Amino acid sequence: MSDKRPVNLDLGTFKHPLISVVSISHRISGVILFVGLVFLFNLFDTSLKNAAEFASAQTLLQENFFAQFVTWGLLSALGFHFSAGMKHLVMDLGHGEELETANKAAKFVIGLTVILAVLAGVWIW
Amino acid sequence: MLTVSVYRYHPELDAKPYMQDFQVDTEGKDLMVLDVLNLLKIRDRGLTYRRSCSEGVCGSDGMNINGTNGLACITPLSSCVKNNKLTLRPLPALPVIRDLVIDMDQFYKQYEKVKPFLLNDTPAPAIERLQSPEDREKLDGLYECILCACCSTACPSFWWNPDKFIGPAGLLQAYRFLADSRDTGTDQRLADLDDPFSVFRCHGIMNCVTVCPKGLNPTKAIGHIRNMLLTRAT
Repeated sequence: MSDKRPVNLDLGTFKHPLISVVSISHRISGVILFVGLVFLFNLFDTSLKNAAEFASAQTLLQENFFAQFVTWGLLSALGFHFSAGMKHLVMDLGHGEELETANKAAKFVIGLTVILAVLAGVWIW
Repeated sequence: MLTVSVYRYHPELDAKPYMQDFQVDTEGKDLMVLDVLNLLKIRDRGLTYRRSCSEGVCGSDGMNINGTNGLACITPLSSCVKNNKLTLRPLPALPVIRDLVIDMDQFYKQYEKVKPFLLNDTPAPAIERLQSPEDREKLDGLYECILCACCSTACPSFWWNPDKFIGPAGLLQAYRFLADSRDTGTDQRLADLDDPFSVFRCHGIMNCVTVCPKGLNPTKAIGHIRNMLLTRAT
């Protein structure tokens, strides 16, 4: 009987508050960073082989738009993951557990991420 | 005219749930969502939902109103309707019995786990167990919960682990008794909660605080429990 009962869990029909979106994005950015490490380790490995390979890795990061874009994406994800992670730590200390402050904190995290993403862009290009 | 889209499911007639649309004339009044359901009930006697006090005290009519959990009886149309469209679905994650009625068994099981009653192993005094006004104040914001399940069914951690994570409603009550100066079961209560799931599946998403119709804050209570567990461990 209970197996056949439907469950209303159609995520698309729910409203997701900002705090909630920031929370799940923290996790998603973490996964992106983890997967992105493959690219970064690969590049790091290449750069350590010899002087010529180091130069080629350098050129890749300086001239290949795709590589630059991936790097920028990873840095932005890191910026977000870091800011949201700091928010979590502050919350664990017992601050910002009220709805209003949590909302402000979520907005602050997004604002900080945008600034960090712009700075990362300036640094790369 | 208000378009009301209602989640319908009859266990004996329907293989799958579906959404049914109704047109309702609210006569320009700012009705409560429950009033709208009552109007529909006149037209379709089979429409099923729970309701009792209709003033936000009993906690029977928790449902998903335009994507947000809330009590139908104290949610005015003006606070939830946009573009004349009202969508009513049952509370998420728990099995649907019929239409907007869910099986709250899992929810109550989690509530039961926290032993929601006073534990005191000292001899009972002749009249009553006294408590200072300051200690009584610590229970404010905790005892008011009406167990409508809006919070727990809005919580993603509860969606994925309804059997292992106590959920915001249960944890708020767990803290209500941990914070009670008359309760002597603190050690046992904390020991029962000390595992990776019961408390620690809370990731501070705060959907519970967002939806609570009584304005309570389970996230904060869970933070207090975490601190108590941490202090106890060291």
